[in-house]
Amino acid sequence: MSGSNQKPLEVPEQSEGNEQGSPQWGEPKLSSDRTDFNALPEFAKLPKANSRHKQDHAALAAEFNKDEPRVDWHDETLWWVRQKRDKAAARVPEWELLRDTASRIKDNVLSNLSGYLRQFEEEATRNGITVHWAADANEHNEIVLSILSRHKIDKMVKSKSMLTEECHLNEFLHEKGIDVVDTDLGERVVQLAGEPPSHIVLPCIHLKKQEIGEIFHEHLGTPKGNADPQFLTHAARLHLREKFLTRRVALTGVNFAVAETGEFVVCTNEGNADMGAHLADVHIASMGIEKLIPQRRHLGVFLRLLTRSATGQPITTYSSHFRRPRQGQEMHIVLVDNGRSVHLGRKDFRNSLKCIRCAACFNTCPVYRRSGGHSYHTAVAGPIGSILSPNLDMKKYADLPFASTLCGSCSNVCPVKIDIHEQLYKWRQVIVQEGYAAAGKTAVMKTMNWVLSHPGVYHTAGKTGRWFMLNAPFTVKNGFNTWYRQRDMPTPPKQSFGDWYKKNKK
Amino acid sequence: MNESSNTATRNSRDKILNTVHGNQPAPRELPPLPEGTPVAPGDLAPTFITALEAIGATAYIVSGFDRIATMLHEQFPGARRIVTGCPQLNAFAEAAAAAKGLDPHLLENVELAILPAHFGVAENGACWITETQMVERALPFIAQRLVLVIPHSSIVPNMHAAYDRIAALEAEAPANTYGFSTFIAGPSKTADIEQSLVLGAHGPISLTVFLLDEELSDAGYF
Amino acid sequence: MRVGLFIPCYIDQFYPQVGIATLELLEKQGCEVVFPPEQTCCGQPMANSGFEHLTKGCNDLFIKNFEAFDYIVAPSGSCVLHIKEHIHDPASQKPPEAASSDRTDISALPEFANFPTAHSRHNIPGKIFELVEFLTDVLKVDKLEASFPYKVGLHQSCHGQRGLKLAQMSELMAPPFSKPQQLLNLVKGLQLVELDRKDECCGFGGTFCVFEEAISVKMGKDRVADHIRHEAEVITASDMSCLMHLEGILRRQQSKVQIKHIAEILNARL
Repeated sequence: MSGSNQKPLEVPEQSEGNEQGSPQWGEPKLSSDRTDFNALPEFAKLPKANSRHKQDHAALAAEFNKDEPRVDWHDETLWWVRQKRDKAAARVPEWELLRDTASRIKDNVLSNLSGYLRQFEEEATRNGITVHWAADANEHNEIVLSILSRHKIDKMVKSKSMLTEECHLNEFLHEKGIDVVDTDLGERVVQLAGEPPSHIVLPCIHLKKQEIGEIFHEHLGTPKGNADPQFLTHAARLHLREKFLTRRVALTGVNFAVAETGEFVVCTNEGNADMGAHLADVHIASMGIEKLIPQRRHLGVFLRLLTRSATGQPITTYSSHFRRPRQGQEMHIVLVDNGRSVHLGRKDFRNSLKCIRCAACFNTCPVYRRSGGHSYHTAVAGPIGSILSPNLDMKKYADLPFASTLCGSCSNVCPVKIDIHEQLYKWRQVIVQEGYAAAGKTAVMKTMNWVLSHPGVYHTAGKTGRWFMLNAPFTVKNGFNTWYRQRDMPTPPKQSFGDWYKKNKK
Repeated sequence: MNESSNTATRNSRDKILNTVHGNQPAPRELPPLPEGTPVAPGDLAPTFITALEAIGATAYIVSGFDRIATMLHEQFPGARRIVTGCPQLNAFAEAAAAAKGLDPHLLENVELAILPAHFGVAENGACWITETQMVERALPFIAQRLVLVIPHSSIVPNMHAAYDRIAALEAEAPANTYGFSTFIAGPSKTADIEQSLVLGAHGPISLTVFLLDEELSDAGYF
Repeated sequence: MRVGLFIPCYIDQFYPQVGIATLELLEKQGCEVVFPPEQTCCGQPMANSGFEHLTKGCNDLFIKNFEAFDYIVAPSGSCVLHIKEHIHDPASQKPPEAASSDRTDISALPEFANFPTAHSRHNIPGKIFELVEFLTDVLKVDKLEASFPYKVGLHQSCHGQRGLKLAQMSELMAPPFSKPQQLLNLVKGLQLVELDRKDECCGFGGTFCVFEEAISVKMGKDRVADHIRHEAEVITASDMSCLMHLEGILRRQQSKVQIKHIAEILNARL
């Protein structure tokens, strides 16, 4: 064993001893400093904003930012993952060609998805796999429950599946008295903590090792104060091995399903999907219908891209190809729609269905790194979540396309070249047109537009700079304005450029 | 599943397929697949070994199974239960046949598994192992330590070549048409706790790969 | 060569010296520069907030002001990108969205009584340039009579960089280049500092800066810290909006670090 990669991959501790400010998945208050347009006299008669989610991204992010050293730590940790991605990608001379190829394969998939679904169903069935179809989250959950009930089983293990997070399977099964153990280490940590994952590849990246040590102390009986990752991982290994050995049903996600052969591929570093599936009598694999690829050889393209984009590794430790159940085992696949077929019809947004869930867009996003995954209040956070979620519930997720500066970094790292930042822009238009924008914002925009469409009004709006001070959204209201809270205002000059030009050049 | 839910899933199937069919865009051609950057044949094994070491595994080029047995004796002196899928090592380890067909749970105490694999991939250090080579599907995952043996001449440059090779293997022998198969690249690992890399998450805590070159004499090689 | 000078609204109102530097810089290169007085805004603040359907008035005004020029130049990558991508072409298409009730119909207003309802094809996206790319790609400037003896940190504004491709993006595996750096290298005495994150967003983001105030400020503080850590005395960019945001943070921190639009540096004789 050699090479620098073997050193412990530690990120410098920046806030030793700071135990506060863990993102609360409760009811963070709206920051009182946010400009409430409805409270301003000139907007008093406007209808109250009725479409903003109670805990919108801005408010949750502001809450997360109350502990600045923690934000720095979170940002540095994820930026480091982005840098690993850069290094891994740079080692592949044909990287950009691979991205382009992957994107075009997915174009083909989307253009013939119904055909590939039928082909996959036929091949998988021929292989001895039982194929189920779920129109929505609830049907998916009911199908899983029915399989468990048929076997009279009330305990199962589950490896990472963002689809089951999207479907809220754990909550559903818990209510039905089924015990579900998440076996991915990060997912187990957040499950014990009673939180959802904050990142689709690194579920507990928002937690510090000391906090994880506490959680393990409480739930697994590890010694108090022990926060050594090696030790904690070993404790989880022993704890979860017992679960693997005693559970008869294992549920896994699916990274890719091959229409040509009826097989599916599950990628993990820990080996938890395999431990679960190969020791269980029943293997259930849940997949979104967009996970299909046409042929097995296309896996070569996607497996080269996936892990390099996700963590900077050249490939995951295990890329397991499931084609037939083990002798004596049952294997089920649940094909889940849950809004995807409708999304496919949205011309401007369908490309987001190309996503292979690598989370490279999370790690590069300067907003995600500083707001934490929970601020997105949805299963798939980050830039990709911000364009996928409004399709599921436009009202609930109306804030997410605005949780971006449209810097475009996400689209550049995306291994399947989804135009993420352009879709964020387009979602903003749709959300406003569908009436989900705050009324106050609409009023400001209308006023601003009216002035900016009328040069006469614009030029006579008063003393130079005054109009902006009063109306431009980035300087709204002096005194307690949102801009001014942590930033100084520009000093208004004696004359505008227009005035200067009139005097000096005409 | 009872009849009513069967009907429901049938209805959902048709509904999903109809909506997808109605909403999918006009046909788009599949692109040609890249071949990847070529690697000189002489560089394949060294590139593979470098990749393997970078992901926390160890590699040796060896001249024969005798040599492998000697080295394993040296490296894993205290291993109590050793299972192998390589018949050449039956004197050294529990034969595959004994475990085959057993309840996979009974493999829980295997400390060392020694299995053959088809080939390695130079760009990422992964080895392709199919179900028939695994003794039991669970074995490469449940064993505390894993050893894979691949032919030295088997290394392919990248994943595109790997899938070409997989297709060729299936065309060669129907027995190679796997029900389960996997690429294994290094020991089981996680970095979920503050991005600190820990080897041995749920699966083997170490991986050793032997590149078997029977044309070699022992001199100068392991 | 007749160049229409587009000075974005916040530069007009807050940073007239940037407009003056842009004008002088272009004139030094032999351009005939005209500033159409009735200009206001590209419409981006509304559009990025989801109100693109409201921007027809701004768009029409922009077309009226600028369609006659050979080139249109603005000292802002963000505004130029917005115009390039979103200005409608009345000759070939309808306006982007059809929410007519919200749209100001400026042709109905008295001051636009003579405003034609259908134009000839204006080709504005093809002839509008951000200042830096106009200097490097159209005028092919390879020397400048400029001196600026300071340590300068270059902030890569996202829309200029990732939208207009003024510089290679760190995410892509492609050969490096930087048009702003190419010009700054021509300035006597100027020393560019290396940054830890050479193209991370500053967090301005238009209305993002107030609607997501906490993140916006945190992003800005982190950018400023990177420049300060590398001992920049001046932070420059080709977008004044980013600099306005960074300046607000610097002033609040009572930092001595200055901000200068790249036009001011390229036009400087210090």
